[in-house]
Amino acid sequence: MVQTQPADTETSLIEQAQNGDRNAFGELVRRHYQGVVLVVYRMCGDTGLAEDAAQEAFMRAWVNLASYQPKGCLRNWLYRIAINAALDVLRRKPEEKLEDEEALRMPDQEANPETALIEKEQVVLLQQAMKSLSEAARTVLILREYGRLSYQEIASVLDVPVGTVMSRLNYARNRLREIMRFYMVKTESVYA
Amino acid sequence: MHEEMRELLNAYLDGELHGWRLQEMETHLASCEACRNELRELRLVSNMLQADPVPEFTSTERFVSQLTLNLPRHPLRDRPPQPGSLAWWLVPAGLLGAWFFVQTVFTLTDMVTAANMTGLLGHAASWLTSGRETIWFSTATSLFGGQAAGAQPTLSLLNDVSVFGTNLLSGFLWQAAIVLLYWAWLFIWWLRGSRRPMKIQKAL
Repeated sequence: MVQTQPADTETSLIEQAQNGDRNAFGELVRRHYQGVVLVVYRMCGDTGLAEDAAQEAFMRAWVNLASYQPKGCLRNWLYRIAINAALDVLRRKPEEKLEDEEALRMPDQEANPETALIEKEQVVLLQQAMKSLSEAARTVLILREYGRLSYQEIASVLDVPVGTVMSRLNYARNRLREIMRFYMVKTESVYA
Repeated sequence: MHEEMRELLNAYLDGELHGWRLQEMETHLASCEACRNELRELRLVSNMLQADPVPEFTSTERFVSQLTLNLPRHPLRDRPPQPGSLAWWLVPAGLLGAWFFVQTVFTLTDMVTAANMTGLLGHAASWLTSGRETIWFSTATSLFGGQAAGAQPTLSLLNDVSVFGTNLLSGFLWQAAIVLLYWAWLFIWWLRGSRRPMKIQKAL
């Protein structure tokens, strides 16, 4: 592990990395890996694909580091690259057939209705529901829910107006709300 | 009012409303049960997403080690500009240069012509006069010769006006051509920009 001084600010690490210092870049990756891999995992819905996308994202970041202006936020810049990398990885993989929407909305009533099973079904349904969103809406939702970015930051990452961020987020959450309504009734006490 | 507030429920949930907007929303929520229910459901969706389990990924240290081994030699800080993009920006620069050149040539020509017409150059610019007769002036002079001696000053004046007009027209046409080329470049530039995919900065 590379030992970095506490005084190593992100800006100085970026400058060192821009001059070809791999250790400095490694430290930047160390700081942002968890955030990036979580965002791309939510985009891809698969651990392997997410790690591929994260690796591709950091490679692209290294190659394009010279064009990065340290006045901006590195995390947002990395998220921007990571989202593109995730979308590329998703496009390269064979198309996955989504389940019928009606089946998503109405889980098997004869299955064990106990909480554990409901929760398991719910996780699957939630992931499927996420996949059923458009790329644009899903990206905004992921940056907000998992990246914890403000609307202004999302707008900056995606290069769209804040109003567009709001409308995409409205659409995404309302769509999930419709799909998940059945489970909300059953599990409201758990998540409320 | 209700629909307007509904549209802002997500922003309220995410803490993106401030000032009078926030107060307005809270006042509305206090009196609107439908919005309160919708907000509760939106909050549940958000909580469900947050609670969605995260799998185990490769550890940070292992990921960093693997990545740094595969990094290219240098982050290409000193990469020269791509020929395409350099050539691309040479177009407006070249047009600007051409416009400057044309402007300079015509301004100098006008100055020399004016100086010659007022006799400032004396015989030093006698070569200018040979090329400054229009066809109709040469024809009229050769056909009528001495018979038109009385009208000679008028004809000369008309000839000068005609030469001036021709210069002005050619100058205008040159500049119009350059402006048209520049607009064409701008239009192509705009087309290239608008065809860029929705994905942000594909190069990344």
